[in-house]
This record gives sequence, C-alpha cells and structure tokens, in this order.
Amino acid sequence: MQLGFLVDLHLCMGCKGCEIACKVENEVPLSTWRLRVKYVDVGTFPETKRTFTPLRCNHCENAPCERICPVSALHYLENGIVNIDKERCIGCAGCVMACPYGAIYIDPQTQTADKCTYCAHRVASSMMPACVVACPVQANIFGDLEDPTSNISKYIQKNQGSVQVRKPEKGTNPHHFYVGGGNITLNPLASRRENGHNLFNNITTLPVGGHH
Amino acid sequence: MAHEILSATNAVVTLDVALPGIVWPWLVTVNMWAKSIGTGVIFMLFVLLRMYPEQAGKLRLPASIAAFVFINIFLLFTLADLHQPFRMWHIFVYSNWTSAIAIGSVMASTFLGLLTLLGYLAWKKDGETFDKVLLWTTILAIPVTLYTASLMAQCTARELWQMPAESAQMILAALLAGSAFMLLLGGNKLGDEAKNLLGIILGLSALMAFIIYMSEYIFGPMKAEEIAATIGYVKNNGPYAVMFWVGQWMTYILPMMLVVLSRVGKSESILKLAAILALVGLAVVKHVWLMIPQLLPMS
Repeated sequence: MQLGFLVDLHLCMGCKGCEIACKVENEVPLSTWRLRVKYVDVGTFPETKRTFTPLRCNHCENAPCERICPVSALHYLENGIVNIDKERCIGCAGCVMACPYGAIYIDPQTQTADKCTYCAHRVASSMMPACVVACPVQANIFGDLEDPTSNISKYIQKNQGSVQVRKPEKGTNPHHFYVGGGNITLNPLASRRENGHNLFNNITTLPVGGHH
Repeated sequence: MAHEILSATNAVVTLDVALPGIVWPWLVTVNMWAKSIGTGVIFMLFVLLRMYPEQAGKLRLPASIAAFVFINIFLLFTLADLHQPFRMWHIFVYSNWTSAIAIGSVMASTFLGLLTLLGYLAWKKDGETFDKVLLWTTILAIPVTLYTASLMAQCTARELWQMPAESAQMILAALLAGSAFMLLLGGNKLGDEAKNLLGIILGLSALMAFIIYMSEYIFGPMKAEEIAATIGYVKNNGPYAVMFWVGQWMTYILPMMLVVLSRVGKSESILKLAAILALVGLAVVKHVWLMIPQLLPMS
C-alpha cells in the first residue's frame, strides 16, 4: 500500500474548510499549520484571477526530513505515510531546514517538530483524513496509489497530462499530486510576498517554536 | 526563471499564513565558528609539531586546552539550539545513521574524549604518547569539521548549501581559524619561521575561501532560481549585503593584505592584527551564509 493525495486545483474554491478541519482534528496550536490554503492573485486589474493552493506535507518517498532526523522521530509507516514520533523528537529542527516544502513546524506547546500525517490515526481506523471529509467539492482525493482501482489512481490516469508535484527537481518523489497547477500555484518564487498578506494582521514571519 | 514569470504575471500572495522565521539562529553560527577554531588548532598543532618540534612542544598544553574549550563551546551551543535539550541522549540511543547530525554527534563526542586525553597527557608532560594520540585526533578532526557541511547539504530545501563548496569552506575555515588562533596563542614560544608558516596558511586559506565565496556570488545565480533568489539577499540592497561584505573584508581581504604586509615589513603586530580580524570576521561570514537561505519562502 502506498497512500497518496491529489488536489484538483480546478475544483478548489479556497473555502479553507480543510485547513480548519485539520486544525480541529489534530489540535494544531495557534501560529502553526499542518495544512493551509494559499491565495495568489494573478494579473492586473481588471484582468485578474485568484488561485487557491492547499499546501501540506508531501509524504515523499525519498523524504529529506526522514533522512536528516538524528533520532528517527520522522519515520515511514507501512502504508507510505511519513509519520512523526513527538516523544522521540529532540527539536533540532533539522527536518524544518531540510523540507523543501516548508511543511514542518516546531510545535510551540511541545517544542517538537510536527507536520501533516495524512491523519494517520484516522487512516488506521479506516477513516478518511479530516481535510478530505471537510472538502465540499471533493477537491482532495486520497487513496492507495498502488491500487489501480482506487479513486486517486483513476484520477491520475484520467488527468495524466496535467498531474504535477511541487519541486520535482529536488528528487524527493512526493506522494502528493496536483491537477491544474502551474508555476504560480506550485512555485513559491513565482509570486511576490508583500507585507500585509494576512487577513487580520501584517505579520509575515513568526518565531520558530514560539521563542529562540 | 521565476522572477521573469513574476514580472509578466504580477502574481502576488493575497492571503496566507505567516511563515516561520529563522529556524537555525545565531546559536548555530557560534557552533560552527567555535568548531572551526577547535579543530583548526589541532590541525596547526599537528603541523607545527612535525616541522618545529622544539618550539611547538611548549604549545601542547595550551593548544589542547584551547581546543577543548572551543569544542565544548561548540557542543554547548548545539545543545542550547535544541528545542528539547534534555532529550539529547536520544541521539545516542535512537541513532539514525543516515543523519549527519547523529554521525556528527558521535564523532564530536569522541573528539572531545581525545582532547581530554591530550590535555591530560600534556599536563603529565608525556610528549611521546601525546604525539601518538594527536595523530588520531587530527585524523578525526577532519570529519568532525566536515560533518556540518554534510548536514547543510542534507538540507534539501536550501539550494545554496552544496556539499563540494561547503566541505571546502569548512576545511578552509578550520585552517584559517586554527592558524589565526595559533598566531595569537604562540606568542614568543614560536620562532619567526613557524609564524611565517602560520601566516602563509592564514593568507592562503583566506584566498581560497574568498575565491569560493565569490564564485558562488557571481556564478551561483546562473545555475538555479533558488540560488539566485538567495544570493539576492546579499546583492545590491539585500538585507545582508552590508554584513556580507563586512565579513568578506574582515575575514579574507584584509587578512590577506596584512599577511603580505607583515612579510614585507617583518612585523609580527600586523600578523596578529590579521589573525584577530580573521577570527572575528569568520563569525560574520558564517552567520550571513547561515541566514540567507532561511529568508526564502519554501511554500
């Protein structure tokens, strides 16, 4: 079994339901996110378009976080999920530095690394990840990549020409795919980040782990 | 490259979370700086004992103590940088041998053990055994100083840190810091020839390191968009531009010039000034190179 994710960006409408569901399900502390939806506006008024991109851990086959973790706190599960053992983590932040997708954070409450686990605890009970359940338009498709009859495998077959991963040049072999993505949605360097892009404040960066 | 697309599309992030700030702070700078001195002193002691055994014999105890102190500073700041420092022992119990951190921790701990032994042997004035242990300590100092380069290279996210360049920089930093520190530590125990040798090592390692930095500064951006974006932080009006050039002048350009001047004028004071500048500047150079890849948004 090799679990994977696919997000159809044609369907995503940026409701952030997945983001909230993830926060609630995993009790993700304030100032940190396992999954977030990034809005990028393209063009010049009146010819503008808004894009929405859900971003989470890519559960790479060749995960840099697993490789750099000195204590194997980050490890592979048999179903392909890259999981984390917070009791073992020493908080060296090597994984945060290694992840090319910025998907790992230091939990300010436990002072250990944390990230999306594809809701491994729910998956173990044959439930779908919280974000999949919450999505009103079924833009999140989750399943076994090795099973040709699974929804995700069929979706990939149907959209072969437009299936992409983030930063393929890094050689991480992500198990998280996007349909309908492009440079602007998948490459963080292809859009400007200006002060004040948050909804409620002008904060652009936060201290890692709440201190240091 | 992405910046060309950017100018055409005018794409701007309009709603997103605040990204994490600096992950590895100045504590890691001190870590690298202290390790360069700690290992570099051992390299220089080994060379001096081979070439000038009479003079360098008097440096066995002070050099061992200096290396011991700086390796302890390195380990202390490594520990201080952990978010869960009391779990440090996990590294030795749950070691993941693909991790440069795990391998480095074991090597650095062994290195510290050998330094302790060297200190004891120097205090007992057992020069023969000291020199035998020093050989193994010097050999171990090479991977100890190099492992940080492999750690940086394992940071897949930070394109700027490439193993070939970083490993050369780590060795050169150790040679630079070791020669500079020995020039200050040697005082009147070393003769002119030994000091000249240390000056040459200082000048040449500064030259080589400067060439590598300039190569990355000029040619790096031609290879990858992430490197171009990262180097952008030290170019033109980048936030680290001033600090980058202060570091380059203090650590490499001025010491190189001062080494030449000291040889022409046969001035030991100028050589000591070069050593002080190199030691202080090394921390600045290391800090800039550590910070700039962390400013880049990863997602």
